[in-house]
Amino acid sequence: MRISSKRRASSVSEAFGVTESGLFSLSNDELLSRGFELHSSYEGIDLDQLNSLFLKVGFPRRKKEKLTRALQHTLSLFWLRDVKSDQMIAFARATGDNVFNAIIWDVVVDPSYQGAGLGKAVMERLMADLVKRGISNIALYAESNVVGFYRPLGFVSDPDGIRAMAYSRKRR
Amino acid sequence: MEMDMDMDMVQLNMDIQMKRMQVRSVESQRWQEHEHIPLTSLHHSHATKPNSGRRGKSVHARASLWDSIRAGLLKSSPATLADPKPSDEDEEEELQSEEVILLEKVQTDGTVERIVFDSGADVDVSDLELLCDKVGWPRRPPAKVKAALRNSYMVASLHLHRQLPLSEKNNDGGNKRELIGLARATSDHAFNATIWDVLIDPMYQGQGLGKALVEQMVRALLRRDIGNITLFADAQVVDFYKGLGFEADPEGIKGMFWYPRF
Repeated sequence: MRISSKRRASSVSEAFGVTESGLFSLSNDELLSRGFELHSSYEGIDLDQLNSLFLKVGFPRRKKEKLTRALQHTLSLFWLRDVKSDQMIAFARATGDNVFNAIIWDVVVDPSYQGAGLGKAVMERLMADLVKRGISNIALYAESNVVGFYRPLGFVSDPDGIRAMAYSRKRR
Repeated sequence: MEMDMDMDMVQLNMDIQMKRMQVRSVESQRWQEHEHIPLTSLHHSHATKPNSGRRGKSVHARASLWDSIRAGLLKSSPATLADPKPSDEDEEEELQSEEVILLEKVQTDGTVERIVFDSGADVDVSDLELLCDKVGWPRRPPAKVKAALRNSYMVASLHLHRQLPLSEKNNDGGNKRELIGLARATSDHAFNATIWDVLIDPMYQGQGLGKALVEQMVRALLRRDIGNITLFADAQVVDFYKGLGFEADPEGIKGMFWYPRF
């Protein structure tokens, strides 16, 4: 039975179980039949490809040494490889303390591949992995134009008046 | 390979210089009773502690960090990640304890009280439990708290140190310390850090210690070249963080939580 992500889950295990069948909007097999290979580790990540994917969506290019360090200290990550072109076309990762809190960063889909549910595919798997670890507080920082992307996945903005804040050197 | 490392090298050089600076020892200060040292004249102390495994490295060890960074520059960096294991040696150097004395008070009997910020002190889970009780936070399973602290990039603490007069000469032997504040940050060790669980013992609130704790933590994170320092602020503390240089909804970015239990 497919669980609708629009309904508020009464328990985390109800929202995302351990087994995959009927769980994700697109199963791993369905992704593969569409030509997309799913990866859940940073082995095999081509940093040049990752950087060019970031550039395609307007993120800055990052120094490889720093990128390596960031990925090594990432709790969980998922990415999709377009088999035909051998390109990384979707990516998402999460950091945290592996117990209480996790933050999701760098959710990107190649603009040429957007609208096909691939962002949702990596997000669902990332969420399932975090929930499986027992992490109950999962948060992210969403640009205003993608708040609508996260809402159907179960994200609420400014719950109870909580505000996202970032340190700004300009203000000092 | 991108050789855009000049700024990193300048920053690293500055970091090493700062750590090698001689620090005024507390003993050389005038022993007069005073209210507090203004927060603008903070001391940096890098005293080694006998009971710490990670700290107390010699200047020679710091020099090897510089050598290994330089050596790394001469190698070409691979396009793919072959070895997933992080280089612990470089990281350990980065996570050296940084102590800052925020307040100092000498009692009439000669007892010296200091409130000390430390970005790398070991925090006792039972001390933290007591502190959470005092601020009215629900207790969490100690094993989980221990793991959360271990998995945090930085655990910044405020301790009240009491140095009794009789053991003045034996600095560490006669020291009692009490945890009165804490903040921790998770991070990918490169780009982003998120600050969680900022708490100050109610008995010590209203003195600017919360501000000092967060301010020092931000400085420590910036020294480690973390460019994006974030947090989620309850509505009633948004102004508190604005006063420390934080911006709410920067560039219209919204904080979102997954099925929040509020």
